[in-house]
Amino acid sequence: MNDVLVGQALTKRFGQTVALGGVDLAVRAGEAVAIMGPSGSGKSTLLHCLAGIMKPDGGEVRLLGERIDGMRERARSALRRTRFGFVFQFGQLLPELAAEENVALPLMLSGVPRAKAVRQARSWFGPLGLGGMETRRPGELSGGQAQRVAIARALVTKPAVVFADEPTGALDQTTGQETMRLLVEATRGNGAGLVVVTHDPNVASWCERTVEVRDGLLAVGGVRT
Amino acid sequence: MNLDLTWRLLRGGGRKGMLGTWLTLGAVAVSTMLLLFAVTANFAFQARADRGAWRVPVAAASGKAVAVEATRYDYVRGRKITVVDLAALNGRAPAPPGLARFPAPGEAWLSPALAELAGRLPADQLAARFPARTGVLGEEALIHPEELVAVVGHRPDAPEMTAARSDEWTAGSRPTQVADLVGRPSEDARGYQILALIAGVLMVVPLLVFGGAAARLTVARRDQRLATLRLVGATPGQVVGMTVAEAVIVAFAGALAGTAAYALAVPLLTRIEISGGPWFAADLLPHPLVPAACLVAVPLLVGLSAVAGLRRVVVSPLGVAKRETPPAMRWFRALALLAVLAVVPMLGQATSVTVVAVVIGLAFLCVNLVGPWVVGIIGRVTAATARRPAGLLAGRRLVDDPRSAWRTVSGVAMTGFVAGFLALLTPGALATGATPGELRVLVPEGSPSAVAEQARERLGKAGVTATVRRSDKLVGVTPAGHADPATMDRARTALAGLVPGRTPTSDADHEHDNVQIIDDIRSGTVVVLSVSFLVAIASAGITAASSILDRRQTYGLLRLAGTPLTVLDRARRTETLVPLAVMGGGSIAVGVFCGLPFMSGAPDGGGLTMLLVCVGLGFAGVLGAGAASRPLLRSVTADPAPRPD
Repeated sequence: MNDVLVGQALTKRFGQTVALGGVDLAVRAGEAVAIMGPSGSGKSTLLHCLAGIMKPDGGEVRLLGERIDGMRERARSALRRTRFGFVFQFGQLLPELAAEENVALPLMLSGVPRAKAVRQARSWFGPLGLGGMETRRPGELSGGQAQRVAIARALVTKPAVVFADEPTGALDQTTGQETMRLLVEATRGNGAGLVVVTHDPNVASWCERTVEVRDGLLAVGGVRT
Repeated sequence: MNLDLTWRLLRGGGRKGMLGTWLTLGAVAVSTMLLLFAVTANFAFQARADRGAWRVPVAAASGKAVAVEATRYDYVRGRKITVVDLAALNGRAPAPPGLARFPAPGEAWLSPALAELAGRLPADQLAARFPARTGVLGEEALIHPEELVAVVGHRPDAPEMTAARSDEWTAGSRPTQVADLVGRPSEDARGYQILALIAGVLMVVPLLVFGGAAARLTVARRDQRLATLRLVGATPGQVVGMTVAEAVIVAFAGALAGTAAYALAVPLLTRIEISGGPWFAADLLPHPLVPAACLVAVPLLVGLSAVAGLRRVVVSPLGVAKRETPPAMRWFRALALLAVLAVVPMLGQATSVTVVAVVIGLAFLCVNLVGPWVVGIIGRVTAATARRPAGLLAGRRLVDDPRSAWRTVSGVAMTGFVAGFLALLTPGALATGATPGELRVLVPEGSPSAVAEQARERLGKAGVTATVRRSDKLVGVTPAGHADPATMDRARTALAGLVPGRTPTSDADHEHDNVQIIDDIRSGTVVVLSVSFLVAIASAGITAASSILDRRQTYGLLRLAGTPLTVLDRARRTETLVPLAVMGGGSIAVGVFCGLPFMSGAPDGGGLTMLLVCVGLGFAGVLGAGAASRPLLRSVTADPAPRPD
């Protein structure tokens, strides 16, 4: 068993609506898992519970064997900053910072000196095909480039798990495929687990495993085959 | 044009959108209220000057005279009484303001406050100085409701109306034959009007800046949406029309609210004491045209400001959507300020007031013009030297949008300008703290001993123990021991009419006007600073809230990725504090520089204390206003999954 992240019997309600009705999910180091399902099925809620953004009503979440669902907001916040990486569909880069500063930001937040943080950040630009884009502002990058900067930012802290919510939702087919390839390869190369929420089968096909959420329950694939 | 769509955009902005609209409305209301105050204050001083004018006699052309008029000043309990002596030369003498008819010889008409005081104090301390009261003066005769005025009727050949009097204007005016009782505004009334005008300029400029900021607040939140409208094919005209319509609707509502708030505040404002008394409510109720003009001008200005804010969106629909680096501001803004400052040393106390007002107004506007440019430079330095994320974020934000950062601190910077300017103007050592001491009265040539003898007799009858001395020209009376105010007033009353047309006065009485002017300048300064602060803090609070609303998505995602709220808050604070320190200090320096030519004597402790209090309050107020929006920051970042607007 080398699961980095395990969710067990997770439940979450919003008023009368059951968003999660007891979900089990485990992610191994270097493994990419796609969570699919129609809108409102609870896939985003599942991601938020696993990532410590939301507290589940019941069940437990363990990161490397340690329970994280009961932690206080401050501790979960620190955890998200140091052990998790995030890639979203839009708007995750700070428009006023240069690309390299956006990538360096999580390191600086953890106390790495600025010069060192920027140096480390730059080392990600070449492998992600972003050479020469270091000092550009997000407004001067294409959608695909911005998304690759976001990938660099998610990985720069060497996280245990990377969470991606519709990472290619704002990109065209070709750019999306390229972005997914880079995301999966970089995450795997880094030894981190990857959880991707998507409704696009093409995106899911990049992952080793796909689970489907329907009405707050895992329909297919929750348990590894 | 598209009013229906505008209205729906306005209403459909969502809860956060509506919050922004409310903030704009509040900002415009505060601006309008203070604007009305600044404008009305000038009319109020004008009204005071007009009402006091009849007491300054203007000599009639020969053959036209209908009456003789003279004024002198008397004192009771440290307060000044204006005594107007009147004598009719023929039946054509008109009724003075506030009186039903021209006073007959031996009649005395007292102002309500004087009548009240005369009734309260024993007669031998006040009432006995005048003939028996005939009636009470109406408001038209008085500068302010608490003023002590006595109008006394005489025969034209009475000694009071014929004897020579002192020529000093501080002692009153000598008997003058007049053709009417119109007169002319007194010197000090004109002085007050000038001060009021300067105060008005100092208050109105930050108000305009604030109002403009408020207008852009609406636009700032909507520029994204409007850029979208532009992208889907709305013409520039339509976009401008809709935005301006929206801004104007909100501004009109704000202006209405501000006018109502001003009307409600009038009873409080009348209590501000200037020249020794409060105001008639009518003085502070503006002519209906003033609020009417405000209701037209304020929405118009807000609309224009909205157009200016929107120019970027209209010119390039992609400009806003893509958030490119804005073009850097030019150094020639600094040149404009330097040019105006170069003129300042040429000013002096002799310069015409209009020129002074224009130069100060221009300097003020230039500080505002230079502000964003300097903020941009500060941002570049902060970002380049930052070692922590808060500093880096703050610095980059400053470079990115120096105007919005300037809006946060501009109010306090402007107040710093005002405080710096006024710190030097506060006259210091004019009051020497003279004791009541000796009452002196000038006597006609050759009569000192007779007058002194009469004084002894009168004082003896009144039971006042005093030493009486005489010299060639005057008789001096010093009540024995440490004279309390009651004894002094008994002595004054006993000596009333000793020398016709002259009032025995002490050194303290002579300083009365100087002390009054210092008090008034202080009160005026406090009023101007209070207004500036109100604007500064309101502006800081509104800007802080709107900048959170503008960046709620960024903040939300940062928080989600694990950024502690404290880092976000620290970045916000740095973003305000650094420019505040630099710009506040700079503005005070410019204000002090502009005040230098008008400095009278060394600045006193009072002015500097005020400046320090001002700086302290400014920092605390802006930080407090920023801190007040922290719950808003918490609430906008609480949503774990931000979505595009």
